[in-house]
Amino acid sequence: MFSKQIPPLNSFFLLLLALWASAFFSGCTPQEASFRPNELHVASLSQDSTDQQVSELAKTASNHVEELFGTPDSPKWPSEIADIVDMVKVKRSAGPVGRDKSKVEYGLFRKHCVQCHGTTGDGQGPAAALLAPYPRDFRRGSFKFKSTPIGKKPTHSDLVRTLEKGLPGTGMPAFGTLNHSVEFAEDIDALAHYVRYLSVRGEVERRVISAIVNQENAAEQAKIIASKVAESWAMADSFSVKPPRLITTWVPEDQTAAIERGKAIFLSELTACSKCHGKLGDGNGTSQDYDEWTKDWTIRAGIDPNKKAEWKPMKRFGALKPVLDSARNLTLGAFRGGETREDVYLRIVLGIEGSPMPAIARKENDNPGITEEGIRDLVEYVYSLSNPVTSGAAPSNEKGAEHEQSN
Amino acid sequence: MNSPTNPRHALVYLAAALVTVLTFPLIWLGGLVTTHDAGMAVPDWPGTFGYNLFLYPISAWVYGPFDLFVEHGHRLLASVVGLFAIVLCVIAYRNESRGWLVKVCFLFLGAIIAQGVLGGVRVLLDARTIAMIHGCSGPLVFALGSFIAMASSKRWRLASPKTGSNGLGRVAVMLLVVSIGQLFVGAHLRHSLPTWRPLFFMSLVHTHLLMATLILLAVLYIAVLVRNSANSDNRELRTPANALLVIVILQILLGFATWVANYATPWVELTPWLAKYTVQGKGFWESMIVTGHQATGSLLIVCSLWLACRAYRRVPVEQSAEHSLASLSNESESTARKSFRPESVSVGVE
Repeated sequence: MFSKQIPPLNSFFLLLLALWASAFFSGCTPQEASFRPNELHVASLSQDSTDQQVSELAKTASNHVEELFGTPDSPKWPSEIADIVDMVKVKRSAGPVGRDKSKVEYGLFRKHCVQCHGTTGDGQGPAAALLAPYPRDFRRGSFKFKSTPIGKKPTHSDLVRTLEKGLPGTGMPAFGTLNHSVEFAEDIDALAHYVRYLSVRGEVERRVISAIVNQENAAEQAKIIASKVAESWAMADSFSVKPPRLITTWVPEDQTAAIERGKAIFLSELTACSKCHGKLGDGNGTSQDYDEWTKDWTIRAGIDPNKKAEWKPMKRFGALKPVLDSARNLTLGAFRGGETREDVYLRIVLGIEGSPMPAIARKENDNPGITEEGIRDLVEYVYSLSNPVTSGAAPSNEKGAEHEQSN
Repeated sequence: MNSPTNPRHALVYLAAALVTVLTFPLIWLGGLVTTHDAGMAVPDWPGTFGYNLFLYPISAWVYGPFDLFVEHGHRLLASVVGLFAIVLCVIAYRNESRGWLVKVCFLFLGAIIAQGVLGGVRVLLDARTIAMIHGCSGPLVFALGSFIAMASSKRWRLASPKTGSNGLGRVAVMLLVVSIGQLFVGAHLRHSLPTWRPLFFMSLVHTHLLMATLILLAVLYIAVLVRNSANSDNRELRTPANALLVIVILQILLGFATWVANYATPWVELTPWLAKYTVQGKGFWESMIVTGHQATGSLLIVCSLWLACRAYRRVPVEQSAEHSLASLSNESESTARKSFRPESVSVGVE
């Protein structure tokens, strides 16, 4: 039928046929989703184990956790532990993407988050290796931008805030732009509940793995561990710090003086800010370090993240190439935890969990540290790095002013 | 009878062009379905929430959730394209003198129906892999429709197969094949499965970039070749070659923008703007950019096919000039129309 005079046509039809054949003979029916066992944590705790032993141990821990928390398609919550998640919302976020016959949308996590964070919330989604920084692994129970001190869980509002506003300069999107849709506002709330669920599930799994490695009875331990982890989340609100109202409209002389005092604190040995952020605040400090997610399977497991020969074997368990957690260039004004003075205050006072950024040492009684006034001066200095003060005029800070008004 | 200016042939061309033009927004809408992960926004098929597809209330469609709007709109437009494909087949059957082209028209209708069924199976099985195949074959069906428009055009009838060496034709075919390959890789990236390991996805991205480089080089090579004034034989290839150049440049820009819209830039510290840029989840412009990248990819395939067709079928320069004059004199074709008998027409390309 087709002559040799139109060669593209033949190959075109063949391709079309091949597509159809592949559609019906390659097993297209979906399989039930499952959480990926945490082999990397097992491997970092028991490096002498063979691949098969690592796989089996991780699978055993995963099975214990599945009994408590279910699967990605059918999540559940143990009745014995603190009721910190709304399971109706968790179930809306879980499972495959789609609407039911009453038009309620399900599978929110797979729709919006799974590409980077992975089904398990392990930060191992398909796109993870290409992102800088890597997507958050929820399983440590550590979150960077929150209103609670290091070592404490974030509040529900902290998670909602990150979902709404995103993290500038990273792959984490802001979903707040869709807030005009009532449905989507509910979606964000549901996603925050699911992140809690994944984080609790993942942290319990890590601790169960430790119990198994320490030859404890994992089956008995699992519920106790789950109860403790859930309790730590339930306590989060009580540790939440509310930032004070900070001055946004300065008398120029006062502001200049505050910035000078703040600069002295920034450069001081006591705070050591300039060691990482550089003397000019441009991120060119001498100190370089990895984040806790990387240290977890490298330094703490006796692996040097700077030596490829040492960390490369861990790739088969899902490790991504270790990347330095560089200090931020403060002159760019891109503060991931929020761009108001109050947000900067929280970052200085609380630190950034999981990163090399510590909480500032406060002056208490005879302990050396920075006073409340000193912290406010430091905030003003950091803020001035990206909002230079012009002579005789206060720096523009529309958003900061709006924030203060809204408070 | 087989005159290039026969109005009955022009009718086939018009019908093919119309259905092709309608297929492009269908591809765009299909891309939006993928961008918004709206493939399962309507859980049943072929109906919509229990309604007949065409009877689903407009207010519920237009004022409902955006993913439902996109998915139901995709289905409606696909039905319209299917309807026009039937019209094309009827027109071609009644008016087209070349039997092989009539068969291609029916093949096109079959491909449209198959696409619809594939889309339906994707919904009934809730299978993302089928969505990927549906996304791959969509642009190929679009290319098939474009091919019918090309083959029914006046130019095709004037042209004859190129004789002798045809280096440019070979490059054009290679470009077509690589562009289709690029479509497959892109579809994998767009429909990635949650179970994929990051390193596999990264290898797909690298393959996509490598193929983009190959396509760019091929298009630049073609552009240089057709601009060679010493080779007058290549002059009629300038239009598709120029179109390819524009599309490839646009596609590369859209590709970069797609990455930024999805994952921000890898060089955030370069400027305050990049450092402050926050990806907007399912934002309007972000969706348009990402979907535009996919839709432009299908244009790349069609333009490669266009160039290949022109490279393999050339209109002699003198014949083209004569035909232009003949067209200007508004030649009557009534005699030819009366004597037209489809069964008397020989089947074959020429």
